Amino acid sequence: MKNEELDFIMEESFRTAPDFQLPTDFATRLTLSVFRREQWKTDLREYLYLTAVLISLLAAATVTYYLIDKDIVIRFFSFITQNTLNVVFIVLMLNFILFADRVLLRLLFNRWKRAS
Amino acid sequence: MNDAELVNQVLNGNMKSFTFLVNRYQKLVVHITGRLIQRREELEDVSQEVFLKVYQNLGKYRNECKLSTWIATIAYNTSINYLRKFKKRDEASLDDKAILDKLTDFRPDDYETTDLHRYIREQIELLPVQYRTVITLYHLGEFSYQEIEQITGMPEGTVKNYLFRAKALLKEKLQFVVNESSLKLVKEINNEK
Repeated sequence: MKNEELDFIMEESFRTAPDFQLPTDFATRLTLSVFRREQWKTDLREYLYLTAVLISLLAAATVTYYLIDKDIVIRFFSFITQNTLNVVFIVLMLNFILFADRVLLRLLFNRWKRAS
Repeated sequence: MNDAELVNQVLNGNMKSFTFLVNRYQKLVVHITGRLIQRREELEDVSQEVFLKVYQNLGKYRNECKLSTWIATIAYNTSINYLRKFKKRDEASLDDKAILDKLTDFRPDDYETTDLHRYIREQIELLPVQYRTVITLYHLGEFSYQEIEQITGMPEGTVKNYLFRAKALLKEKLQFVVNESSLKLVKEINNEK
């Protein structure tokens, strides 16, 4: 064999693709996984925005009532301080329902759809 | 569809275009990650990580280089980080003698002439990671020296040197298959030049 022939064979070998392979449905599965991640991010963002809007509305209503009639607001806060545990529990429950509706149930539904 | 259009479509949320992009560049990614990490069972996970990074950072891609160069850079960095993270970095010395010792001897009795290809491909896998990287990018990815410099951060001279040395080392193992007289002739011609 001549030196040039060996060079040629080596060049050819370098250009030959190694036999590493990905599954044929790699691109489809990857796209689906990216789509789910994006969906989860969007759902979470929506939930956070909604929570922020609700808190802002509550704050705005409190300020408005304070300007109209101080007593209502004072009585409202005294009610909260007297029933702190109950109020915290109800607020957390309502927030969890919102979270479940906006994020959790969608995520579980997607997983269930993938599994079935 | 050209790369610029493809990138725009993906950025606009078209997931079918992303599938198209993955299909177009998955060979390039799998060649780089496969040659670098050399673990088939982890190849899919690393390749998936590469494409996730591509998707997340596509907004930062500025057409300053080819999309293939940009994706190859992500694939190279992800593979190197993977090797570092799991302490699987190829610590092999770049000393020629050490590399030659690592390479297996070519046994002409075991191989047909056509199997030289197989032997050479097997030996590429035994080379240090830097050599494997430049061989893969230059010959398989068909990147220029400047593009390899962009991808790996190795200076152009180093890239050329690694390519030359990798080839020379493999050739040394195969030297006896070259007819002595023709080798002499080539040397004489080279000397005359």
